[in-house]
Amino acid sequence: MNEREKSADRLEQQVDRVLSNLPLRRAPAALEQAVLGEIARRAALPWYRRSFGQWPIPARVAFLVTSVALIVLSVLASSLNTFGAVPLSWSRPAVTGVSTLFGSAAVVARAIPPAWLYLGLGFGAVLYVLMFGLGAFAYRTLYLAPLNGR
Amino acid sequence: MQTQTAGQGPADFTTFMRAYQDMVYTTAARLAGNDAQAQDIAQETFIRAYENFGHLQHSATPGGWLKTVASNLAINYLTRQRRRWRFFSELSGSDSDDAPESEFEAPDTLLADLSADERSVLVSEALKALPDHQRIPLVLYHFEEMPYQDIAEKLHVSLAKVKTDIRRGRAALVPALGIVAARETLES
Repeated sequence: MNEREKSADRLEQQVDRVLSNLPLRRAPAALEQAVLGEIARRAALPWYRRSFGQWPIPARVAFLVTSVALIVLSVLASSLNTFGAVPLSWSRPAVTGVSTLFGSAAVVARAIPPAWLYLGLGFGAVLYVLMFGLGAFAYRTLYLAPLNGR
Repeated sequence: MQTQTAGQGPADFTTFMRAYQDMVYTTAARLAGNDAQAQDIAQETFIRAYENFGHLQHSATPGGWLKTVASNLAINYLTRQRRRWRFFSELSGSDSDDAPESEFEAPDTLLADLSADERSVLVSEALKALPDHQRIPLVLYHFEEMPYQDIAEKLHVSLAKVKTDIRRGRAALVPALGIVAARETLES
């Protein structure tokens, strides 16, 4: 073992001794009230706003049954539409509306001169870069700089 | 909130929390290097403890459970934060691993003349000043007594990087400790 390794080992032992002998820091007085307050707040939440694991069992079962039923219905509807056996009449207005919307958008897009489109895209890209740079500047100035200076 | 309290009330939990809150807060503060984040992490740790209170009350090592949860929450928080801000953070290059290895001579004594409270404040400040990638493995190694290999697995980094970061963290701590020790000597 050379001198540098010996020095590193000695430093490790000394730092370890100093750190392991340090007393615990005192928790802020507000911690206890914050924890009890948060526990009370969560306890006051209605069951449907808690995590799924804390839902009542009947609600969990009903949710799972409904989900499976919806999945089965979706698969059935999709296969029926694909093969054209029984078209779903209720979906026709929605499909027609969406088709009309896309058709109108395509007509408008074709009417715009290409130069305008490129200009618009370029303008959007410049704005994006500006906002990105502004965000980076704000983060480094307002967050990183105070951290580095602490 | 559904809990596993098995008939135990909030008063028991309050007593339990008072017994462990300094330990949990200290663990979180050393890892996070930020008092406000440490309080949030400690709060979440105790909320999880409340959800598992029935089990914890009969556990032989509730302190170990609390320390593990606090450590994991702190590391997860810092990892998420680092991932979210990686691009911006690393623009500054302050986390560079290419910094030259510094030669140093370990002093014979560190902070021997200071009181426990003074040492605590001093070391806390010195730890806060370390970058996350040096402070976290150093705290896990020296305070949580975790082996290098376990730290590498926990942080998802190589064993060599863990050793290097801990060594550099120690080296970075020494000047701060040494400067104060020298000043104390001069003042005495």
